[in-house]
Amino acid sequence: MHRHQLCFEDVKTGAALTPLVKRPTTVQLFRFSAVTWNAHRIHFDKPYAITEGYPDVLVQAHLHGSFLYQAVADWAGPRARVNGFRWQNRAIAVAGDELTCSGTVVKADAGVVECELEERNRKGELCASGWARVELPRRG
Amino acid sequence: MSVSIPDLCEELKRYVGRSERTDLGIIRRKSFQRFAIAADNLNPVFFEADSAKAAGYSDVVAPPLFLSSVRNWQVGPPRIMGGGQDLELHAPVTDGARVSMELRLDGVEMKQGRSGDLLLIKVTQIYRDDADLPLVTCRETFIAR
Repeated sequence: MHRHQLCFEDVKTGAALTPLVKRPTTVQLFRFSAVTWNAHRIHFDKPYAITEGYPDVLVQAHLHGSFLYQAVADWAGPRARVNGFRWQNRAIAVAGDELTCSGTVVKADAGVVECELEERNRKGELCASGWARVELPRRG
Repeated sequence: MSVSIPDLCEELKRYVGRSERTDLGIIRRKSFQRFAIAADNLNPVFFEADSAKAAGYSDVVAPPLFLSSVRNWQVGPPRIMGGGQDLELHAPVTDGARVSMELRLDGVEMKQGRSGDLLLIKVTQIYRDDADLPLVTCRETFIAR
């Protein structure tokens, strides 16, 4: 599969990352709970999630993080290295929600860029915010 | 969870500042590739050796959030939620790596939540390979209710 490679020379402060859209399903959430050994029922048992006041099964905190990570890694390309990454969960998302991950370059210096990241639902509500530090290859 | 939040808070306070190291065993590609599929991230560096080598890795690598997303490598309490993580990604994790995790309890704090008491548990997890080289440092705050 061909993947575009971004080089440091291509990036300026203020540049936008290519947005990444995700639509997590109940099957995906079940699988993510299974592979991460996360037994919390709010992620795979809808009647239980409703008893806790949620409309449906919740997207896991670490899946929000994984989506934001993918947005920055896909944008930067396979030879880039994300060596610092953080995110914070701000609001819930449930199965069937459409989540758009986007970001902005806030610093570009000596081959390294820093990006602010955010994940929003279709109403525009912030579900997770994040930050990444990425080492990019140079041209030539 | 049978223990109350105030009791759990008092119990955990005794362990603040202490750390414990656990051998997580050998990491296999099947495990991290399942994680990648569940995360809907089919980046070929996780699946194809040629793509990984073209990207500068020795072989397929684990998605960087794999180690720190596994809730508990043993059996643990289920009613714990993550609120986010702060990660230093030191080196990639490849198939066959033997990984240990040092878990340090940095602090506990009780708060009033929407549906009663909740506990914020701050931890640092350092994952290392069998040469003791750090792979990932993760700072995380868990919420227990």
